[in-house]
Amino acid sequence: MSKDAGPRMAVNLGGITMRNPVNTASGTFGNGEQFEGFYDVGSTLGAITCKGVSAIPWEGNPAPRLAELGGAAILNSVGLQNPGVAGFVGRYGEYLQGLRRKGCAVICQVAGHSLEEYARAMELFEELAPFASGFEINISCPNIAAGGAAMGATPAAAAEVMRTVRPLTTRPIVVKMAPHDVAEIGRALEAEGADALSLINTIPGMSIDVRTRRSRVCRPTAGVSGPAIHAIAVRMVWECARAVKVPICGIGGITCGEDAAEMILAGATAISVGTANLVDPACAARVVEELEQWACDQGVTDINELIGAFEC
Amino acid sequence: MTIQPDSLAGTASATGVHGFEVFSNEAVADGVWRMRCHTPVASLIAPGQFVNVAVPGDSAHILRIPLSFSVAQATSQTLELVYAVVGEGTRRLSCMRVGDTSTMVGPCGNGWALPTHEGRALLVAGGVGLPPIVACARMLAEASVGFDVIVGAQTSAKHVEYLLDELRRLAPDEGCDCARKVLVCTDDGTLGTRGFTTDVMADLIADRPYAQAYTCGPTPMMAGVARLCAKRDIACQASLERMMGCGFGACSCCNVALVAGGYALCCKDGPVFDAREVVW
Ligand SMILES: Cc1cc2nc3c(=O)[nH]c(=O)nc-3n(C[C@H](O)[C@H](O)[C@H](O)COP(=O)(O)OP(=O)(O)OC[C@H]3O[C@@H](n4cnc5c(N)ncnc54)[C@H](O)[C@@H]3O)c2cc1C
Ligand SMILES: Cc1cc2nc3c(=O)[nH]c(=O)nc-3n(C[C@H](O)[C@H](O)[C@H](O)COP(=O)(O)O)c2cc1C
Ligand code: FES
Repeated sequence: MSKDAGPRMAVNLGGITMRNPVNTASGTFGNGEQFEGFYDVGSTLGAITCKGVSAIPWEGNPAPRLAELGGAAILNSVGLQNPGVAGFVGRYGEYLQGLRRKGCAVICQVAGHSLEEYARAMELFEELAPFASGFEINISCPNIAAGGAAMGATPAAAAEVMRTVRPLTTRPIVVKMAPHDVAEIGRALEAEGADALSLINTIPGMSIDVRTRRSRVCRPTAGVSGPAIHAIAVRMVWECARAVKVPICGIGGITCGEDAAEMILAGATAISVGTANLVDPACAARVVEELEQWACDQGVTDINELIGAFEC
Repeated sequence: MTIQPDSLAGTASATGVHGFEVFSNEAVADGVWRMRCHTPVASLIAPGQFVNVAVPGDSAHILRIPLSFSVAQATSQTLELVYAVVGEGTRRLSCMRVGDTSTMVGPCGNGWALPTHEGRALLVAGGVGLPPIVACARMLAEASVGFDVIVGAQTSAKHVEYLLDELRRLAPDEGCDCARKVLVCTDDGTLGTRGFTTDVMADLIADRPYAQAYTCGPTPMMAGVARLCAKRDIACQASLERMMGCGFGACSCCNVALVAGGYALCCKDGPVFDAREVVW
């Protein structure tokens, strides 16, 4: 390996080709544009995953949607506020097309309350979003009353969502999984034609203000994210990777190249930076550099050699 | 004190991550601190916009602290933040020493707009809603808009004296009918009038006509100001607070319910809103 060539960093996430393994977690990266003041998103990242979008606009939950937990974690209950597929494409389509031109993959996230709604959103995306490199089906949002996490709670329920959306597109489908039974549910999704899996979504949690006896966010339970969940996420990626053959995007508490490298060793092909984008807006760009440095230090010519290279 | 003319014109500068270095950080009232720092944000930020500050040295609390500013001096690149110590983040902020460095995301959001109609402006501040009101007063003074100010606090010890002096300097008593007034009140009567800012405001607007109000402070106070303005058909801009995840429109955590239905984002669409457009 010549000194300045560096290791090859490109990966393939179930048909979504990425120039490097770094992706962004849905809901923590706006739709990319918000980060252009911090770095050139399209020339830097392997992919971005957009905010969850439903067939028609969703208002999302009332305030307050966020609490700081004090243990390197936050609690959110945004509830998938989004302008609907048409609104999303109208507002961001051109920008996202531009990202594709710069070589950054664009993953559009599909949300729904029911099988019909997932199907409708998928159809609209298929028709209106030629810029999407692939889709991520969110069956794991803990912050909506119907659908969301309930749709992915069991292997049978998850498989049904996959059966519903699979015939509607030929583009790659990633499924965003909840933090439980990942091996079993992962196998069910793979059997129904999922091209890749991404995990984990936030971990359901609670935070009670003991003076007022009320939840510190708008609903009793909400989603925990941030550095505190990283070790749990790495374990789940490892469990899932051993159960399936499709590639995995590892998500949860990633703040640096070392966190990302752990995910890759545990079996992830790609990784997503989530909460860290909010507090350190240039984090994902830094992870790209640090990950490449790590691959270099490991003496490999291709980052793919390190996927699942955890020695136990 | 100068603010860059182009920041006054409200041209939005792109939000970025900027370094800052503390050159003073001290208590200026009971539980209220003032930090002065050097940072390039000072030449980019407009009155009513805010910065999202990373406090170093605690990996358990990950969110930044959103703070408005009272003074931004472009020539010397200095920014002045006045903040109440209310929890762990602001407590740690108060521990930063001269020479300490960190980063801030900014400038964030949309600041105050100059009045669109001829006429006097009324500024109403409560508690640590005062810093952006001081920045607003300076903006109005530079634009030669006449204004009066009402500043409320729980008790005299919580009033930030030097900012009251700054307001009096910006609003000199010219001894004529339309002399600018700086009216001070406290909940317990230990300084100025006893009572709430809205009581003082009700008396004042019965006396003088206003075209525009600007308010920042506790939500119940701003709601009261908005109600009084609506009754008298006075336009009102209010600077709202929400828990913030990012401060630049990426997470949808800072939603503000709108009268027209749906939500706006406090960090991106605000923090300054037309008081008639938000659900109080
Ligand atoms: C746009 C904007 C401008 C602000 N400007 C100023 C300012 O100039 N001076 C000032 O003293 N404060 C200002 N605040 C409020 C300040 O951000 C909070 O007081 C601070 O984040 C509390 O952090 P903490 O860790 O010390 O407290 P925590 O321990 O997190 O909380 C202590 C208390 O403060 C409340 N709180 C926490 N975060 C916020 C928040 N973002 N907004 C409102 N209340 C909050 C909590 O609900 C709790 O009751 C502003 C807030 C916003 C959104
Ligand atoms: C504010 C916020 C909004 C989120 N919105 C979504 C969403 O729309 N769809 C989704 O699948 N996950 C959403 N998530 C979950 C993240 O994508 C990610 O799975 C989770 O936060 C764990 O990663 P982290 O610890 O790096 O943040 C959201 C998380 C946060 C903090
Ligand atoms: S704080 Fe993230 S969108 Fe406003």
